[in-house]
Amino acid sequence: MKLTEDDIYRRSTQYLHWSFTAAQLAAQRLKTNIQAAERVKAAVARQRAARALKTETPNASGSENASQNGANTPLPPPDREVDCLTMAEEKRLVDNFCEKALELGDFLKLPIEVTATGVQFMRRFYLLNSPMTYEPNQISRTAIFIASKAEGHHLPVAHYAASLPKTKPEDILAPEYLITQALRFHYEVRHPFRGLKGGHLEMMAMAAGKATLPPNIPQDRDPRALQQAMLELPRRPGGPASAMSEKELEKRITEAYGFASHILKNAALLTDAYFLYTPSHIWLSAHLLADEPLTLLYLSTKCPPSNPMHAKLLTTLRSCAALLSSHHSFHPASQTEEEKAARDKKDQVELKALMKKLRLCRDPDKTNLVKLNQAQKRDAVENGELEENKRKKRKIAREQYEKEADDFFGPSLSKKENENAS
Amino acid sequence: MASTQVALSPRPNPPGPGASKPLPLKSKTLNVDNAKPAASVAASRASTPGLETELDAGAQMNEQVRNRYVIDKKIGQGTYADVFSAHVRSDPSKLVAIKRIRLQQEWENGITMDSIREIRFLSELKHPNVILLHDVFSTKDQKISLVLEHLPLGDLEEVWLKKDKKDPMIAYTQADIKSWILMLSRAVWFCHSHRILHRDIKSNNCLIAANGCLKLADFGLARPFAEPGRKMTHQVITRYYRPPELLYMAQHYGPKVDVWSVGMILAELTLRQFMCPGNTEMEQLNMYCEIFGTPTEETWPGVSKLQCYVAPDKPAAQRGHPKSWWESNFGLIGEDGRNLLRGMLTMDPKKRLSSEEVVKHPWFSSSPRPTKMEDLPTKGKADLKRFGDDLKRHAGELDSGRGDKVARKLFG
Ligand SMILES: Nc1ncnc2c1ncn2[C@@H]1O[C@H](COP(=O)(O)OP(=O)(O)OP(=O)(O)O)[C@@H](O)[C@H]1O
Repeated sequence: MKLTEDDIYRRSTQYLHWSFTAAQLAAQRLKTNIQAAERVKAAVARQRAARALKTETPNASGSENASQNGANTPLPPPDREVDCLTMAEEKRLVDNFCEKALELGDFLKLPIEVTATGVQFMRRFYLLNSPMTYEPNQISRTAIFIASKAEGHHLPVAHYAASLPKTKPEDILAPEYLITQALRFHYEVRHPFRGLKGGHLEMMAMAAGKATLPPNIPQDRDPRALQQAMLELPRRPGGPASAMSEKELEKRITEAYGFASHILKNAALLTDAYFLYTPSHIWLSAHLLADEPLTLLYLSTKCPPSNPMHAKLLTTLRSCAALLSSHHSFHPASQTEEEKAARDKKDQVELKALMKKLRLCRDPDKTNLVKLNQAQKRDAVENGELEENKRKKRKIAREQYEKEADDFFGPSLSKKENENAS
Repeated sequence: MASTQVALSPRPNPPGPGASKPLPLKSKTLNVDNAKPAASVAASRASTPGLETELDAGAQMNEQVRNRYVIDKKIGQGTYADVFSAHVRSDPSKLVAIKRIRLQQEWENGITMDSIREIRFLSELKHPNVILLHDVFSTKDQKISLVLEHLPLGDLEEVWLKKDKKDPMIAYTQADIKSWILMLSRAVWFCHSHRILHRDIKSNNCLIAANGCLKLADFGLARPFAEPGRKMTHQVITRYYRPPELLYMAQHYGPKVDVWSVGMILAELTLRQFMCPGNTEMEQLNMYCEIFGTPTEETWPGVSKLQCYVAPDKPAAQRGHPKSWWESNFGLIGEDGRNLLRGMLTMDPKKRLSSEEVVKHPWFSSSPRPTKMEDLPTKGKADLKRFGDDLKRHAGELDSGRGDKVARKLFG
């Protein structure tokens, strides 16, 4: 038996660890938001106390770390409680920074898989962390750098840093561990791009009367009949039958592919689609938005409408399509240029306000990631020797214990079982 | 048709506490509640700001993973990593190997691409013949550690190659070779069905578990199949195992490169020596041309367009060794075995067998049947006994049960 894409997907880390229901996703974000807000408030309180101490006793050295890390961050006015971001505001900001990351990838001419993977790394990172704690600009450039390595795209750090404004290699490298730990070392992201290409080729074959149909398809559907059905496909759902030439049909399929591809490279990356749906759902939904009659016909060759799965699948695809089309990068044919401009303008204004708000609720301990990283490494070296000694002692103790236990009871098997049970 | 197959099942229940677990050791949700609640940690440390503030969620999870294991001793050293034997803290009878990537001075690009790739692919590939990656964590000094299943019986090269005069010569039969090659080929087919190229298959990357099971390891050079038209480097696969298309510097190639390497392993197991130990790439290619005949447009359409192709100078150079040469050198594996061998070692990658065809080859079902893995000869049978007595426990695989079953369903 051969593995299908579906089988493979269901064993992937993306499915096992990074797929959620909408409710789970919201719960996780809320948890992250609450924790981050608490930390920010506590850290700001500490900084205020430290500064107050400093002004009172100018010679007291206070806390070195505090002065290293947070001294230059603007603190909110002392008489006011910190105004932290809400969960919805955090998401809005992250979405926006993901979009900027996408533009950066375009600008640097990185392959789409690299940028797409980097953007998903960011989205995964911000399920566990808040933009109040870690500034999205710093995280996004490193996320893309890690993605370039995961995707096997050679991108030397010096070269990469030089192509970004005001960036040094250490700025890129400092948050690597931070990000990689939040990703739980899962470097594989499953994209819908290849699925779309495969589907497109299949549709082209169908249009040419050369479809290879699975055996569970109704008898009347031979490749010729299927081609005929395609040539007569209405333009719009519920529209009148058309009578296309094979050339026109091919053109239509190619256009649908282009439209769907644009969705995959934008809306699909910039919404929660990857968390909520499988790669197949995503590309089929994008295709549904591109050309509904064509997509439904294609689907019927995979899963005939008589199959009880059909309705269920279609419901899923429609909800995914709704998510994708809700993104502002999606242009429905009905939207006028003015409408779009107005919508974009409103977005801009809101985002600007959010950025301003973010500046006043940053965690002052986490602003300088390079210093934070250096301090962590220094700390590890100092602790290292200590740990080594502890480890040696532990080992001797364990060996001693085992020896004694064996001397006493002989090698025991039940011990193992007991430990297993606990 | 896997490439165009559409996943049509509806979105299943998302993994949660009730979902089936592929690895009992792994925590499966983002839930970090069982670590110290962040807020209270923050409060207790409020007097020491900066570095000493609470760990963030990622670091907490990393710490949890790291604390799951206890290192016992160093057992090996490779070019890029130190390997330790370790056990699971909650169950000392469960052994693991921890491969800790060494920091490299000259490397300035952060976490190495090799370790990221190895982790990426091993996290996705769970198969009884692929080394199992239980966990990954980073140490405080930012070294990445891979927690791998413990494979105490060395590698396949040690089976046929006597590195040290003191080493005993391990005797084995055709049935044993079948068993090893079948296990390896299943691993390779599995990788290929995930659209992953290994690109460094060689006998010392085939490790042996305590129960004799062969495990393909070292995925540092692996990569997904390329999209058509995308160029790839030809500088992969250890020279002795490198297929001719890579020596001709092809920039487009596919899974057949791995099949050639498996063929080379079958050859060396049979010969008990390297089949083609070329000292340079040129020499390597010359050895192939001598054995198989220099390829031409007739025998390998398209070969003359490859960058390093040199046409044969005289017609005789096209011929290669006669059938009798194969019969006398590869008598051990019989007619079927030689067919398989020559199917894998076919110069033109288009005509070379695929990993699927290898697994389904009649050699494996013809008599003598492949040896059961428990009965395979290993260098360490004696070592293992000593090892087991030492520790009063079985040096076993952690978790083979379920994986084996799944794979049997998939490939059985
Ligand atoms: N899973 C494992 N179980 C037990 N021992 C192992 C395991 N993996 C590696 N070892 C031991 O550690 C040694 C070093 O392994 P590693 O894979 O780092 O390097 P290598 O393959 O020997 O060399 P290179 O780094 O050049 O590829 C091995 O030779 C082996 O003895």
